[in-house]
Amino acid sequence: MTYRSSRRSFLTAGVVLPLTGATLWQETADRQAASSASAPQFSYRVLGKTGLKVTTLGFGCMITSDAGVIERAADLGINYFDTARGYQGGNNERMVGAALKRKRASLVLSSKSGARDKQRALADLDTSLRELGTDHLDVWYLHGKNSPDEVSDELVEAQQIAKQQGKIRFAGVSTHDPKVIVPAMARKGVMDVVLVTYNFSMDPGVAAAIEQGNKARLGIVAMKVMAGGFRERPGRGDSGTREKLKRAGAMLAALKWVLKDRNVHTTIPSMTDMDQLDENLRAMAEPYGAAEEKLLARQLDFITPLYCRMCGECTGMCARGLPVADILRHLTYTEGYGQFALGREEFLKLGPAVAAVRCADCERCTVQCPFGVQVTARLRRAQELFA
Amino acid sequence: MKAVKTFLLILVAASFAGAADDCRLASGWKPDGPSRTFTADDLYEYLDGGAEGYLIFGFVRLEHQTCAKGADSLVIDVSEMNDPDAAYGLFAARRDPRQPLRRIGMGGEILPNRASFAKGKYYVELTAMPGEEYRPTLRVFTVALEKRLTGRSTPPGALAWFPRGHTSVRLIPRSVLGLRPLKRGYVAEYSNGQAFVVTEATAQSAAAVLAALRRRFAGAKEAKVADEAFEFNDRYLGGVCIFRKGHYLGGYAHLHKGTEGVSLARTLASRLP
Repeated sequence: MTYRSSRRSFLTAGVVLPLTGATLWQETADRQAASSASAPQFSYRVLGKTGLKVTTLGFGCMITSDAGVIERAADLGINYFDTARGYQGGNNERMVGAALKRKRASLVLSSKSGARDKQRALADLDTSLRELGTDHLDVWYLHGKNSPDEVSDELVEAQQIAKQQGKIRFAGVSTHDPKVIVPAMARKGVMDVVLVTYNFSMDPGVAAAIEQGNKARLGIVAMKVMAGGFRERPGRGDSGTREKLKRAGAMLAALKWVLKDRNVHTTIPSMTDMDQLDENLRAMAEPYGAAEEKLLARQLDFITPLYCRMCGECTGMCARGLPVADILRHLTYTEGYGQFALGREEFLKLGPAVAAVRCADCERCTVQCPFGVQVTARLRRAQELFA
Repeated sequence: MKAVKTFLLILVAASFAGAADDCRLASGWKPDGPSRTFTADDLYEYLDGGAEGYLIFGFVRLEHQTCAKGADSLVIDVSEMNDPDAAYGLFAARRDPRQPLRRIGMGGEILPNRASFAKGKYYVELTAMPGEEYRPTLRVFTVALEKRLTGRSTPPGALAWFPRGHTSVRLIPRSVLGLRPLKRGYVAEYSNGQAFVVTEATAQSAAAVLAALRRRFAGAKEAKVADEAFEFNDRYLGGVCIFRKGHYLGGYAHLHKGTEGVSLARTLASRLP
């Protein structure tokens, strides 16, 4: 048996296919499109002051390894795709560009630069455009800025130059600290879009910051919408619970939780396969209800007592002088990543005085976690394992 | 026995820390600020969304050090992964497949302002700035760091399964070909398509995966390759031929028009253990 070719113009590693193949792909494309999936239901929102109408489910391409998944998402109707100069050492942009080439004109495409000065940022942009095979980006983000100072005047100037040159349509900034960056950008008025971490495990202050951004007509794009608690962590020893939650639809529930916030305009969950794409598409059609609420509550119960977020917001100090956050981190090495030796080694580095303390000797713990980590139980577990 | 274990632990820790710590491996360079360590919990602080690309391979920790020589800056990042295959997988995912592969550790590359290689459980990435051409400096650092790191210098055995002529072989940590049942495996890029191999735990589980895929792609046609096989055309995967040989699942996808998938698959199957 011989084969007709798929419509992909590049393989994921960037190998150019013959033009004849590309022509043949086009011939069969539309005929096959109708039969490839039942039509999903889409919802759209306007991306703030950009005026762009985007699907509430976008596509974070950063860990996708097969271009076919991205191409199918575009064929089905998702219209917001996100990548970055740094993803997969630069290979990601090349794959995304190849996957979206046929539909580029009808899509909203964003990329990012982590450069810290104007010259390098603009050089990154030129590389992004070349690798993506496009003459412009719809949104170009300053990548990973967690304090207003990092959004420097010269980086903003780089975005303005890029706009004037027609290389970008809109300027954005991505952040893991929405509570700081969104209000700052709302005040500053130089950005069109902010890309923020946002999920059900966060405190209400994040939602308030996002609301403030929406009121200032910033486009709001949410990332990390599934929360880190879903991440595969070999050796954690809790895979049974996690798998049960996943099967029950906790990831879909997490996505729905974000979409129910009308201040969020689109989301960019990363997707690695066709099944995940199909599951996520359901988030646009199905409401967030009591079942989802229950699932996420169980998920929060699952991750909250165990994992220190290293936020530094613990109330009180240990009466016996224990460096609580450090010890909890070392415990995570062992229970989170299966690295017992590393956890113990780091714990012992804290010194004999720390190793000698036993939480069981104290009547009441003086340290409380605002996120509900069971501090005493976790410290006792560390002492049991390491001391 | 305990003493031996402790010694080995210290040896491994020392080799890891030393690699990221010492900027003086090349003449005139010195540390610019303290070294930093990132784990899976805080890698986002350093790599932002790019962190996910590390975590998916089985990331343990990263030692980060910036070095300086005059106006030039060099960043040394040494990542410890769960195992050597994961380190090679990260290297292969991040390297530029258009550039030549160099014999550094399990594999490496040196570009004008960036170098990378994998050795043992470690993936090393060096980035120089602000100039355009740093290859001589990167070579010196790469050679010295490679000597310091312990572990395997031979690439994963899976690479030898693929027939010659590929431009790159990558470890796909999740959903090979974008298909969830193909959990983790290697993909080799050829000018006329992609070859892949997924290793299942048992022949039974491999047969179950194959059966699930056969149900998924209605209209697939039986083929005579290894224990069982079928072939089909798909809008997103192009021409596909998938076979099972014991607990291995392998085959070709994205095949061009006119390419004989079955004969290619037979050759691949014959190279599997």
